[in-house]
Amino acid sequence: MSGNLGRLLLVDDETQILRALNPALAAAGFTVLTAETGEAALAQLAAEPSEVVILDLGLPDMDGKEVIQRIREWSDAPIIVLSARDLESEKIAALDLGADDFVNKPVGVGELLARIRAVMRGRERRFSAQPRFQFGDLEINFPARRVMVQGEEIRLTPREYQLLRILAGHAGQVVTHKQIILAVWGSETNADAQFVRVLMAQLRQKLEANPSSPELLLTEPGIGYRLSCDDEG
Amino acid sequence: MALGMVAASTVAAQLLYMLTGSNRIGGAFFVGVLVTSYLAGSGPGYAAAVVSFFIYNAYVAMPHFALSSYGAEDVLVLATFPTVALLMGNLTGRLRDEAKRAEARALATAVLFEATREFSASDDPAHIRGRLADHLAAAVRGQAFVLEGAVLCAAGGEAPTPMVLSAARALALEAGAEPRTIEAAGWRVRYLAGGAVAGWRAEPPPGADEENLLQILVDAGAAAKARAQLAVGKADAEARARTEDLRNALLSSISHDLRTPLAAVLASASSLQEFGDQFDAKTRRDLTATIQEEAERLNAFVTNLLNMTRLESGALDAHSAAFDLAEVVERTRKRFERLRGRRTFDCALGEGAELAMGDPVLFEVALANVLENAIRYSPDGTAISLASFTRGGQVVVEVADRGPGVPEDELPKLFDKFYRGAGAKRTPGTGLGLSIVRGVMQGMGGQATAALRTDGGLVVALALPAAQAASGAA
Repeated sequence: MSGNLGRLLLVDDETQILRALNPALAAAGFTVLTAETGEAALAQLAAEPSEVVILDLGLPDMDGKEVIQRIREWSDAPIIVLSARDLESEKIAALDLGADDFVNKPVGVGELLARIRAVMRGRERRFSAQPRFQFGDLEINFPARRVMVQGEEIRLTPREYQLLRILAGHAGQVVTHKQIILAVWGSETNADAQFVRVLMAQLRQKLEANPSSPELLLTEPGIGYRLSCDDEG
Repeated sequence: MALGMVAASTVAAQLLYMLTGSNRIGGAFFVGVLVTSYLAGSGPGYAAAVVSFFIYNAYVAMPHFALSSYGAEDVLVLATFPTVALLMGNLTGRLRDEAKRAEARALATAVLFEATREFSASDDPAHIRGRLADHLAAAVRGQAFVLEGAVLCAAGGEAPTPMVLSAARALALEAGAEPRTIEAAGWRVRYLAGGAVAGWRAEPPPGADEENLLQILVDAGAAAKARAQLAVGKADAEARARTEDLRNALLSSISHDLRTPLAAVLASASSLQEFGDQFDAKTRRDLTATIQEEAERLNAFVTNLLNMTRLESGALDAHSAAFDLAEVVERTRKRFERLRGRRTFDCALGEGAELAMGDPVLFEVALANVLENAIRYSPDGTAISLASFTRGGQVVVEVADRGPGVPEDELPKLFDKFYRGAGAKRTPGTGLGLSIVRGVMQGMGGQATAALRTDGGLVVALALPAAQAASGAA
């Protein structure tokens, strides 16, 4: 597990959280940097760019969402939102602003590390511009717009394909309803989350072995969907 | 009136006749007709013109009082007289009638203006109801009432009979129908907005102009009442929204205060489980220490929530006994040694044992809350002063910090439940702590007060009856 995975910036105003997470993240192979305020986090990130940022939304000096916005102005570092706030709208806003994933407090280090690995893998995949996506039985050939399950080609409508494409592009990460609507229907639309649900049901019928208990196209209740790419579950 | 004016004209004509000897005195009668119609209107003017004609006629016939002796000139004058007199009476009378109507209109406008001004100045439907009844009664110069549900506002003396009221109620129940006016036992009753009705009665019954004014007045009243009801509804909705905001803030705050220690415990415990073997002894000790501290913090918070609930339900039972205040202060201070960071504690506890009457456990709850607040709101590196002394039969413990304090006008609100200073937004907290302090202190027969320090910061004083004073009084 260890070996240097690079720098990780942990932002939380509660020092006991920093103290509790620090050893495990270090043991997992990260060089852990910490910040207790939004300003400190931005300064830290500018001075020593990190591979991944773990960010609490409730910071004393500024809203965590603003921190995401400011980071996204110049950095593509994966951001995982870590927050005690279980308000759906907060999480959705954070994801829409460019956060890659979220984890609810309290969280065990096992789940947190799995999420970190997922966002880092997703990042690699997206920026290496691979023409093919392969996970389990699913294979996507992007240039040819072909989708295969267990070697058999599956016919998808253009919208179903767009939905699969955006999820595969963010494999392992949550994609919000809003992001899906924008990618599938475009900005000039009155489509809502219900449209996405219907389209997702169609896509599951074609790709999932058992559409009622999906293993590939996972639901994040109230927020969006995630294409599983974690062999560890 | 008309006859009096004609008589006066006749006297004037007689005087002229005696002075001049001439019978060309029609002018005097014209003046009489003019004045009559101006003062009394067209009708009396016509009467004055006819009577004047006959009297003038008599003068023209003088000295013989015989119609046969008229000259040609006399006939001409006599022929023109009635025409001119009648025309004059008509014109002047109309002028006067018009002036009267204008005056009535001005009065009506003034009444309406006054009423609408009053209506718009009030957001109280009950007040508008009462004033509408008053204005209606004044406008008809009779009686009026406004009825809404079981509330009756009557004005102008006599209240409507039960028969009229039941007819009015029946009309009020027709809510939603076209506003209409009914008649009952000499009363006219009109539907207002929102299930209310207005009625009026006058002797003589109001004319068409007045009736119009009344309708406008009633409609203005109805509109004002509807607006006031909306305003009341809006205020209710705002109050509900504020309560909702408060509850949401409290919930999110409690959720934060419960989850943060839990998150630290879970992260530390799961770290130990997954990486325990890789950690050195110091890291393992740190993590277990974190688990212990956070569990204690969680326990303190849950205890506070329980205390608050007990205070609210009145189930707090204080076991009053004489106890050593300094000892409790020392114990509480030690509990906070770890949490104080780089702040220092300056202790100035009174000499000798100061015995207070109260429940030492509850007093510790109160003092711990005050200390926690002082630490939470004062900057690192500053001193927090703890002092105890006796004052006027009471033992007092003061905790003074170098925090931002609160604006002076908010000092009385400091101990209110959920009060959080305007500057406290950035510091986590529920606004429960100090309200628990006050509840606990009052439950023991003591007080909690706060004041601003002249050189910056807040000082909170907890006072309990001194044990000596209590036993001395017994």
